[in-house]
Amino acid sequence: METNLIIALVVFVAVYALLIWDKINRAVVALIGASALVILGVLNQEAAIHGIDFNTIGLLIAMMAIVNICQKTGMFQFMAIKAAKAVGGDPWRILVALSVVTAVLSALLDNVTTVLLTVPITFLITDELKLNPYPYLVAQVFASNIGGTATLIGDPPNIMIGSAVGLAFMDFVYNVGVIVPAILIGTLIPMYFIYGKKLKVSDELKQRIMAFNEKDALQDRVLLKKCLVVLAITIGGFLMQKPLHLEAATIGLFGAAILMLITKEDLHQVMEKAEWTSIFFFLGLFVIVHSLVEVGLIKTFAMKTLELTGGDMKVTGMTILWVSAIASAFIDNIPFVATMIPLIKDMAPGLGGPEAIQSLWWALSLGACLGGNGTLIGASANVVVAGMAHKNGHEMSFVKFTLLAFPLMLISIVISTIYMYFRYFS
Amino acid sequence: MIAANVMSTGAHTLTKEKTMLDAFKLISEKKVRQIPVVDAGNIVQGVITPRKLMKAILPRYIAEGMIEDVKFAPELPEFVENIDQLAYKSVEQVLDTEFVSVSPETSTMEIAALFVNAKKPIESILVVDHNKRLLGIISPWDVFKRLWEYAEKKN
Repeated sequence: METNLIIALVVFVAVYALLIWDKINRAVVALIGASALVILGVLNQEAAIHGIDFNTIGLLIAMMAIVNICQKTGMFQFMAIKAAKAVGGDPWRILVALSVVTAVLSALLDNVTTVLLTVPITFLITDELKLNPYPYLVAQVFASNIGGTATLIGDPPNIMIGSAVGLAFMDFVYNVGVIVPAILIGTLIPMYFIYGKKLKVSDELKQRIMAFNEKDALQDRVLLKKCLVVLAITIGGFLMQKPLHLEAATIGLFGAAILMLITKEDLHQVMEKAEWTSIFFFLGLFVIVHSLVEVGLIKTFAMKTLELTGGDMKVTGMTILWVSAIASAFIDNIPFVATMIPLIKDMAPGLGGPEAIQSLWWALSLGACLGGNGTLIGASANVVVAGMAHKNGHEMSFVKFTLLAFPLMLISIVISTIYMYFRYFS
Repeated sequence: MIAANVMSTGAHTLTKEKTMLDAFKLISEKKVRQIPVVDAGNIVQGVITPRKLMKAILPRYIAEGMIEDVKFAPELPEFVENIDQLAYKSVEQVLDTEFVSVSPETSTMEIAALFVNAKKPIESILVVDHNKRLLGIISPWDVFKRLWEYAEKKN
C-alpha cells in the first residue's frame, strides 16, 4: 500500500509537471500517466475505468457534435453581426455587444468554439472601423470565460463538478449564473476607462458596419431550422433536468443523435471535428486522480485542509475560491478541478455532510472558471485568441495581457467573494 | 510519353529582385498561368501564382479560412488599396516556395495524377533537372494537347 501511494504521487506530480512544461500533447501526457499507474499495479484496469466519469465524457462529445453541425448554418456569425448593428456601429458599444454575445454563446457552448466562431467577425468589424482589434479580443477572452461560468455546460470545470456531485443545469444557473452578469459588467467598466473612452470613429465608418447584411451569413435555412429545433429540445432538457431525473450526458447525447438523424449529416465528418485531444485528456486525468483517491492520498489532504481551516465553512469556501482562482490563472483548470473534486468530497463529513457543503462547489466553480482570465495561458480560449491575433499580425504578449487581465480577474473574484459572503456565509 | 515531351519550353520567368510591378506587366502582356522565379543560373526559387497574390491582399482571417464565406460583409476599402502596396513589394516577398516540380523523365500518367490529387490546386507543374534548373513548364491542357497530337498521329 505504501509503495502504491508513492507511485501514485510520483506519477501525479510528473504528469502535472509535464502539463505545465507544455511541450508534449496533454492527452498523451495524461494517457501515459494513466497507463503507467495500471502497468505499475496501483490500479487494475477495471478500477481505472471505474474512475472515469463517463457523464462528463458523454456530455462533452454530445455538445461537440451538436456545435459542429450548428456552426455550418452561420447562426453564430449572424448573432455577432446582428449585435454589432443593433448598437448602431458605435465602437465601444460594439465591444460591449460582442462581449455579451460571446458570453451568452460561451454559457451554452464550449469557450474555445465560441471564440473560434466570433473572433473572425471581430477582425472583420475592426478592419471596417479601422481600429486595433486588441481591446475587443481582450474583452472577448474575458466574456467567454465569464459566460462559461454561468451554466453546467459552459465550461469543463462545471461539467466535472456537476457530474461528480449530481448538480443540475439549473443549480448552476441559480447559484453561479445569477452573479455572472454583475461580473461581466464589473469587468467592462474598467475596460471602458482604459480603452472605451478612446474608441471613436467617423459616422462614415459606422455606416460600414450598418452595411453588413447579417442574413447573408445564414447559409442553409433548412439546416438552421433543424438545428434550432434540436437546440431548443436540448436546452429545454437541461432546464428540466431535475424533474426529468436525467443526467446531462443523456440529454446531450439524445439531442446530438436526433440532430444527426434529421440532418443526415455525414457522421464521419461530424465526429472527426470533435476535439479528441480533450476527450482523451479527460479520460487519462480521471484515472490518475482516481488512483490518488484509491491510495488514500486525497483523504489525507482533505483532513489536513480541514485542520487548517478549522472546519469553518466561511474560511473553507473563501480559501477554495481564492486558491482556485490563483491556481487556474497559471495552470490548466481541468486537472486542478479534477483533483479538487475528490478533495472537497472527502472534506464533507467534517463539515456536516454532502448537503451542507454545496456552497463549496460554487466557490470551486467561480474560482476555477474565472481564474482562467488571469493570464494569457490561464484558459484555452485565451491561448486560441492569442494564436488568432498572431496570425493576423496583432501580438498579444503574456506580460501585456497579464498586466491588464490579472487585476481584472481579481475584480471578478472580489465580486464573487462579496456575493458568496452574503448568499452563503452570512 | 514523358514530361520532356509534353512540357513547353521558353517560359516567361522573373528573378527575385524584380518588383511585383514587373510581375503585373508580365501578367497583363503575356499569357502566363504562373510565373517561375529563377536565379541567375536558372535555378527555380519559387513561383508567383494568382492564388498566392490574392492571399497577399486579403486579410489573414479570410485567407487562412477563419471565415470562409464573406458575402454578408461590405467590401473592405483596404482590399483595393492593398493592391497598390503589393506592386512595390519584391518578387521575393510574395513568391510561393511550395511549388510542384517533376523531372523530365516523369511519365504523363504521373503528371496527370499530380494535377488531380494535389492537396492544393496546382496551376501548372515545373519540369526541372536534378540541380533544380528550369527546363520547361506543363499546364493541365498541355498534357491533353500532347496526348491528342500523339493519338492523331497514330491513327
